[in-house]
Amino acid sequence: MTDRSRRAVLATAGSAVAAITVAGCLGDDGDGLYEDDDAESADAMGNATSADLASLEADESAVEATALPIADPSLPLSYEPEVLREETISGGVPKDGIPSIDEPTFQPATGADSRMDDGDPVFGVEIDGEARAYPQSILVYHEIVNDDIGGESVAITYCPLTGTAMGFYRNDVEFGVSGNLVNSNLIMYDREDDSRWPQMLGTAIDGPLEGASLEEFRIHWVPWERWLEAHPDSEVLTEDTGFARDYGSDPYGAYNPRTRYYEPESEPMFQPLDEDDRHPPKRMTLGARPPEGPLAFDLEVVAEAGLVALELNDRGETNVTTGEAQGGGDAVAQFIAVYEDRLDTVHLYRGDGDPYAHEDGAIVDGDGESHAPGEVPLESVYAYDAMWFAWMGFYPNSIVVD
Amino acid sequence: MTAPTADPTLIDGVRDRASQTLRATRVVVGRLDGLAVAVVTAFGYLLAYLWMTDHLQFRSGTGLSWFVVADPTSRLFDRRGPFSFEPIAVLEFGVGTLLVSPVDLALGLTLAVLVGLNLAFATLAAVQPASCGFGAGAGFGAAVPALLSGSVCCAPMLILILGIQASGTLLTVLPWLLPVGVTLLLASLVYVAGMIDLTAATRTKTERSRR
Repeated sequence: MTDRSRRAVLATAGSAVAAITVAGCLGDDGDGLYEDDDAESADAMGNATSADLASLEADESAVEATALPIADPSLPLSYEPEVLREETISGGVPKDGIPSIDEPTFQPATGADSRMDDGDPVFGVEIDGEARAYPQSILVYHEIVNDDIGGESVAITYCPLTGTAMGFYRNDVEFGVSGNLVNSNLIMYDREDDSRWPQMLGTAIDGPLEGASLEEFRIHWVPWERWLEAHPDSEVLTEDTGFARDYGSDPYGAYNPRTRYYEPESEPMFQPLDEDDRHPPKRMTLGARPPEGPLAFDLEVVAEAGLVALELNDRGETNVTTGEAQGGGDAVAQFIAVYEDRLDTVHLYRGDGDPYAHEDGAIVDGDGESHAPGEVPLESVYAYDAMWFAWMGFYPNSIVVD
Repeated sequence: MTAPTADPTLIDGVRDRASQTLRATRVVVGRLDGLAVAVVTAFGYLLAYLWMTDHLQFRSGTGLSWFVVADPTSRLFDRRGPFSFEPIAVLEFGVGTLLVSPVDLALGLTLAVLVGLNLAFATLAAVQPASCGFGAGAGFGAAVPALLSGSVCCAPMLILILGIQASGTLLTVLPWLLPVGVTLLLASLVYVAGMIDLTAATRTKTERSRR
C-alpha cells in the first residue's frame, strides 16, 4: 500500500533530515519524515520547538474537560486520522470482548518463580522506585491492565499482534479494548468519553479527543530470569484476574522459544498499512518518533554492538557508528542506542555532542566516567519495541539503523 | 383489511418434513451401527471443536484443580466474539485444561450432534443396500455438507495456524460461518431424511430383530 494517500500531520524539525536519501542500511524513502515535505528548522542539536510543529489540532474544550493527561504537543503521525479510521477493521471481538484487568493483584517476584520459566517474557515497569512485572502470558488475554504504580494511575498495554508493550498515564480514567485494529494494532478506548486510541500511535483517531496524544512511559520486555535478578523485591501480576482463562497456553504461539505467529519470518495476520521487506515481518525493532522523524533501530544490531549512534547533519546526511558515539562534527541531531545486558533491553538517548563509548557493558563519557546503560546522563528519548512490519506500517519513512 | 395468512400447504409441507426427519433420525439412532457412528462422531467433533476454539488444551503438568469466576450466572452471556461467550470456569485435569463456557459448549454440542447424525446417515447409506431404504445418493448428500459445515468453527484458528493473511472479505464472512454451517447441516439432514424409505428401513430392522 505504498501508493496510499498520506500526508504528514507534523512538520519535522530538521529540513536536512527531511531530504535524506541514504545508501546502505539507512532509510531511503527521501520524501520527508512523517511524510511531510514542508519541514522546518531545528536548533543546533535538532531539538524542535513547538513553533516548528504543525500539530494535529485536538478540540481544546475536550482536552480541557478530560481527566486524561494529554501530551503537548501531540505526537507525530504519518497518516491523517481519517485515513486511519478508514483502515480500521474489526478484530473479530466485540468491545471489551477482550477484558481489561481493572483490579490487578500482585505477589512478590520471588514467590512467582515457580510458575515462570527463565526465558518467559515479562513487561517490566519501574515508577518512583516501585517495580512491577506483568507476564506476557497473562496480558495476551487482556491486553490492558488499569493499575496504579508508585502513586501514578497508569495503563499497562500490550498488543500481541504487533508485539508492542506501552505504558500510558491515565489519571484514574480506565482504558478498555475496543475490539478494533488498525495496522494489526490494538485500538484502545477510554471509559470516560470513548475516544479511540491506537496503542502504537498513542493518539486518538476518533471521538472527542481526536488528535490528542496520551503521555507515555517506557515498558521493557525482559526475560523473567533477568527481571528477577535485577528486581528481586518487585511484584508480579498474578493469574487471579477474576477471569477464567488458560494462562499456560498462548493462542498465538509462544515466545520461549518463538513459534507460530511470533516467528520472525511469519506473515502478519492482516495487511499492514505499508510494507517494507528489508527485514522479516516480525523481527523486533526499537521504534522512536522524535520531532526529527521516525527512527527504527534493529534490536539485535544494538545488542551486538552495545552502542549504536545515529547522527543527522544539516545536509540531509546520516552517519551511523557502532561501539561509540563520536560527537562534535556538524551533526544537528544525534541519537544513541545502548544495550543493557542486565535486562536484555535497549535504551535510546539524545546525544549532546560529546563522545560516548561502550566498554565492558557500561557507557563511558568523554570525561572517562562510566555509567550504567540505563542511567546515562543524557535526555532519554521515548522508544518501544515493535514488530518490524507494524512499525514500518505506521511510520514508513523511518530512518532504519540496521 | 384481513391479516395475511400463511399458506396451509407450506405449513403442512414443513411439518411433514420435520416429522419425516425426526422419524428417520429415530430409525438411524435406533440401529446400533447408526447410533455408534453418531455418538463417536459427535464426541470426536465436540473435542475437536473445543480444541480448535481454544477451550480445550492438552499439556503435561497442569495439576488437578478448578476455578469458578465470581457471579458466574451474570457473566454467562458476556460476548467474546460473534458466537463465543465468556468462560465461567477453568478445569485443570492433569494433562490439560478445559475452559467451561456453557453457551459455547451448547453451540459446540449442537454442531456435534448435527455432524454426528449426518455422518450416521451417510455411513448407513454407504454400507446398507438400497432395499433397506438408504440410497447411495443419500450418503453423498449428507457427507459433503456435513464435513464442510462441521469445520466452520475452526476457520479463525486455521487462519492463525496456517498463517493466512485475513482479507477484508474473509473478516466479513467469518461471523457468518457458524450460522451458515448450522443451517447447512440441518438442511442436509432434512434432505437425506426425505430420501429414506422409512417403511423399508423399519421393516428391515424388524425382520433383523426377529432372526
